[in-house]
Amino acid sequence: MSAGPPPGAARTASIEIRDLVVRYGQVVAVRGVTFAVAAGEHVTLLGPSGCGKTTTLRAIAGLEQPASGEIRIDGSPVFSSSPRVQVPPERRGLSMVFQSYAIWPHMTVFDNVAYGLRVRKLTEPEIAERVGWALDLVQLGALGTRSASKLSGGQQQRVALARAFVFSPAVLLFDEPLSNLDAKLRAEMRLEIKELQRRLGITSVYVTHDLEEALAISDRIIVMRDGVIEQIGTPAEIYDLPRNTFVADFVGSANLIHGRRRPDLERDGLVALETPGGAIVHGAAHGRRVGPESLFSVRTVHVHLSRARPATPVNVWPATVRRRVFQGDLTQYHVEWDGRPLVVRQVTTDPVAEGEAVYLSVEPRHCVLLED
Amino acid sequence: MDDLARARRFRPGPRLVSLLVGGAAAVLVLYPIAFLIQASLSTGDPQARPPDAYGLDNFADLPRYGHIFGNTVAVAVAATAMAIVLGFVMGWILSRTNVPGRGTLEQLMALPYYVTPLMGALAWSLIGSPSGGFLNQVWRALGGEAHLIDVTTPYGIAWVMALFEGSVAFVMIGAVMKSMDPALEEASQVLGAGRLRTMLRITLPLVMPGVLGAAIFVFAEMLGSFSAALVLGLPSRFYVVTTAMYQLVSQYPPQFPRAAAMGVSLFAVMFAMVYVYRRIVQAGSYATITGKAFRARAMDVGGLRWPLLAVCGAYLAIAVLLPIVTLAYASVQRLATAFPRADNFTLANYQTALSLDAVRTALWDSLLLGFGTASIGVLLMGFLAWMIYRSRLPGVGVIEYVLMFPQAVPRLVFAFGMLWAWLIFPIPIYGTLWLLLIAYLTVFLPLGLRTIAGVMLQIDRSLEESAQMCGASWGYRMRTVTMPLLRPGLIAAWLLLFVASVRELGASILLMGPKAKVITPTIVESWFSTSTELTAAMALLQTLAVGVALVLLFTVARRAAQHPGE
Repeated sequence: MSAGPPPGAARTASIEIRDLVVRYGQVVAVRGVTFAVAAGEHVTLLGPSGCGKTTTLRAIAGLEQPASGEIRIDGSPVFSSSPRVQVPPERRGLSMVFQSYAIWPHMTVFDNVAYGLRVRKLTEPEIAERVGWALDLVQLGALGTRSASKLSGGQQQRVALARAFVFSPAVLLFDEPLSNLDAKLRAEMRLEIKELQRRLGITSVYVTHDLEEALAISDRIIVMRDGVIEQIGTPAEIYDLPRNTFVADFVGSANLIHGRRRPDLERDGLVALETPGGAIVHGAAHGRRVGPESLFSVRTVHVHLSRARPATPVNVWPATVRRRVFQGDLTQYHVEWDGRPLVVRQVTTDPVAEGEAVYLSVEPRHCVLLED
Repeated sequence: MDDLARARRFRPGPRLVSLLVGGAAAVLVLYPIAFLIQASLSTGDPQARPPDAYGLDNFADLPRYGHIFGNTVAVAVAATAMAIVLGFVMGWILSRTNVPGRGTLEQLMALPYYVTPLMGALAWSLIGSPSGGFLNQVWRALGGEAHLIDVTTPYGIAWVMALFEGSVAFVMIGAVMKSMDPALEEASQVLGAGRLRTMLRITLPLVMPGVLGAAIFVFAEMLGSFSAALVLGLPSRFYVVTTAMYQLVSQYPPQFPRAAAMGVSLFAVMFAMVYVYRRIVQAGSYATITGKAFRARAMDVGGLRWPLLAVCGAYLAIAVLLPIVTLAYASVQRLATAFPRADNFTLANYQTALSLDAVRTALWDSLLLGFGTASIGVLLMGFLAWMIYRSRLPGVGVIEYVLMFPQAVPRLVFAFGMLWAWLIFPIPIYGTLWLLLIAYLTVFLPLGLRTIAGVMLQIDRSLEESAQMCGASWGYRMRTVTMPLLRPGLIAAWLLLFVASVRELGASILLMGPKAKVITPTIVESWFSTSTELTAAMALLQTLAVGVALVLLFTVARRAAQHPGE
């Protein structure tokens, strides 16, 4: 990437969304969503298909008309249900990268990228300079004269990216931009998008259903389900401290351990639960309210499996390995513990055989109390 | 941000324009239909405009014409049955077997459609009329009695219509067969069912809804067809509803209200059929037949390939080659006869045809009208298609429904409504080419809309949205993205509209004025009032003119269609 600073001053804007509701006929796709994106921040909307993340993004873009709520960009409303404001998408000063790339097949790569600049009536020398800069940035410098319909998927994605940021939009929106690429290219592009976003400092809203992608590139993640927000936090917060069963399950693999509270056994600020099988599990509340019946989430990689009994005072139990599944870097064990199945994933060194008796141990801070 | 401040002002723009154009197009369709219905309810003086009394007498009177409705149904049923069998067999051969030359044959299958029922009827009348038909002449020369075939019978008329409509049935059924996932058949064979059993238990049930849909569509078209029944049925006084209407209107004194009542009845039946057709197409029975395009796996039929090829060849020969060769043969004779005689050959018919002012102006007017209809039509229908399938404006569903109405109205019936509607219109366009232009634009709305929509629906919506996200206004997007991407569809629609307009008969024959003649009705007039040989020459000249125009336009269009950077 041998390019200078962006020609033209980069301007970034904040986004505020309040009580956003979007309906498709009788179906309510987004039911009252509120969040804010700071200027220059990269926020990801994460969730399974049908959770309303793309609809929310398209409402910010102006491509969907919300039923109610308010969307402000840089403090000015671009949509509001009262008083009635609906700024058309082309006037919002945003840009967007589409899932299908949406590269115009009847234009060259150069013309695709130059489109937004021509709309803004820049002079041809200015256009040539900026398109050259943008194509260099996405490593397509040599392909300007190529017909856009003759590009590979990865190249099309880069053209779409260059086209989206070349005119220095205040906000960049991404609608699952990598979902049509193969796994290797996806990992590569993920890094490039993050690098680009850092360099340009553009406010970005990114939609994906891919957890790794969200964890890798976001400043903050918003987890959505059924049109509502389940949790907002940094990638580490979302991963380490899931708020409820849905987030724990959707964001990485987790074991859920249900139990009755045993205040009598609690110490050092930990919460103690007794499982239906009689095991005592100590975990951390992280300031959440503890009920008489509660739930811990334990990531599968946080459960430690060993032949010898570890010398820690709490959270050590005997168990039996039932199934062993080799996954490459990791080995997944299906373990019988406390009369129920549990999943453990460990780095593949010195594998334990099926049927072997082992000890499981978990650091109490990794047993995260859930709110539901 | 002054960008945002400016944007917050209300801009009516495309929304208002869309509703105006959509509304105008809807009026174009509904205005004549309203007059048709009004005329059918007139019970006073049949000549009075507007009617001086209303009632249902005209409908109560219809049973008197029961035999005509019977004729119509008999012809339509026979023609539909033949067309569907043709379409099914051709569709199966060309999309499911490894018959040699599949690709070429598939394209040639469109030809029967271009021959038009009128050309077919003229040619088959020359081949198979009971007294002078070429085939019957040969039959008698070989010692046969009376005649071998008679195309002036209901079955003869149905036969001519079926040859033409078989091409439509082929397109519809072939598409269904092609869109069927071959894995469904393979699964049956893997599970041990033989080829025949697979065909009967899997293939047939899966394509059945498609075949049924095609049958209903074709049947509705046949109910409203006009030219074959006119050319072959009129001399022997065999009437179907459309020709009877034509007769009632063109006799003296004309029986407008009665004809209108017939038209409304036909409209009602066809409307119901088209409604059923649309329901079948939309129904869940298509769930297994997805829109995904499969490369249809060709079944290896072994030595059977050649007989199957012969079947396709025979259809094309009978439906395309035979009519054209017959007309050409008749057109170069003084007196059309099956047996060539050196002193009987002449080019005088062409000389006469080209020297007749009526023919020259009619041909020129037709080409001019075709050009106008196609050019205005593509703009209008392109805009309407965008509005209906892209804009997501409220009320476009209703507009789409209304614009598809002409599909369910025979063009003759539609023209009948227009005849009265525009007769009282304050601007005097009656009897001019303008009226024909309006008529063509109205009756071909469904044709143009469907052609353009087919291409438009293939263009991913995000291609337009991404232009919008780049900040392009509606007009700029249309100019730089939507229109260029639609170009192949627009060109196809232009050519279709051009050909359809130049060869239009049903609407033209009623709306043509003495000072604004077009070619197809002129050919029909010539058939009934001058010589067969001259008419054959005129029909071929028309075909030639359309062909030359198409080749010219196609060359231009092909240059225009090339994308930059390729």
